[in-house]
Amino acid sequence: MEITIKIFRYDPEKDTRGHYETYVVEGDENDRVLDVLELVKGKTDGSLAFRRSCAHGVCGSDAMRINGRNHLACKTLVRDVGANITVEPVLGLKVKKDLIVDMDPFFDNYKKMLPYLINDSPLPADGKERLQSPENRARFDESTKCILCAACTTSCPSYWANDAYYGPAAIVAAHRFIFDSRDEGASQRLHILSETDGTVRCHTAYNCTEACPRDIKITKAIGEVKMAMVTGKLD
Amino acid sequence: MTQAKPRTLPLSKRGMSFETFMWAFTRLTALGMYFFLLVGVVGALVMGALNQMSFIEVLRWALITNPGHVQYTNVPDIAPWASTFWRLVASGMFLTASSHGMHGVIVVLDDYFATVSQRQWIRILNLLGYIIVAPIGLYIIWTA
Repeated sequence: MEITIKIFRYDPEKDTRGHYETYVVEGDENDRVLDVLELVKGKTDGSLAFRRSCAHGVCGSDAMRINGRNHLACKTLVRDVGANITVEPVLGLKVKKDLIVDMDPFFDNYKKMLPYLINDSPLPADGKERLQSPENRARFDESTKCILCAACTTSCPSYWANDAYYGPAAIVAAHRFIFDSRDEGASQRLHILSETDGTVRCHTAYNCTEACPRDIKITKAIGEVKMAMVTGKLD
Repeated sequence: MTQAKPRTLPLSKRGMSFETFMWAFTRLTALGMYFFLLVGVVGALVMGALNQMSFIEVLRWALITNPGHVQYTNVPDIAPWASTFWRLVASGMFLTASSHGMHGVIVVLDDYFATVSQRQWIRILNLLGYIIVAPIGLYIIWTA
């Protein structure tokens, strides 16, 4: 089948602003949008720039706007979006080239959430692991699925308006540790998130939940963090 | 297997900043508005609104329990509707709704103004607006 793909192009060495270029390629309805981009790059225009790595929805490299919505190109089939496809970089982050955006602000916010286990208590008597019940593990299971693709953060209208907001992905990272029964850093994270650019910037638009390629209930997770601030309950 | 004991952070350790407090305040004031609305509707029905007022007139009254909202209805005596109790309910609804709305405006504007000084100005201007509007609203409620 014939696939028409309109792609946002921007070369900082030549262009003052971005523009769109349209390509027509021969493909299959079961192709992924990433395959179509590979076809364009391999056969028509080698200068096209986009990120990809595992190509199987695990690394989170190829988040982009496909027909106006954030998706992973490697998880989006042509048959699901139609033969006329528009591909653009995600919103809210500076475009470096074509579909590649500057992810530094995104990862800076992620790092602010102290995304690692904090526990300064002595090890258990046997000197081995800090054990955890399946119920306690299940409490934060959803948020462990995040692949940091930025599809949620860059679909958030609060983040578009103001990139000082930490964004949904960073809050999900905080959620993962705040509700971990082995962690002792919840207070630090909640203090960080209680700032003006923290959870109060979330207006529950639900764009993040819709955009998440891992089906994490992000808005719910943000709500749980808000409630933890108010009630202090971490279970 | 270790079953961790329930974890609850004390108030000082849960990041209960002014922003978080206002987030909770906005949710509670929203509930407060429903409460005052319900008091207005039930009160109107108890005072005989079922046969004297239309549904729209009851709702108009319940939104702000001001006697001016019933003077053109079929209510025979306006005095019970102008009691101190109803003026207190109206004042409660007005202060709850206006503070809820004022903070809502701040939250929305904070999306677009990120520097500390801009956000301070937003708060000062909103507070000034509230200081001007609140006495006017209360004056109307208590003199109408």
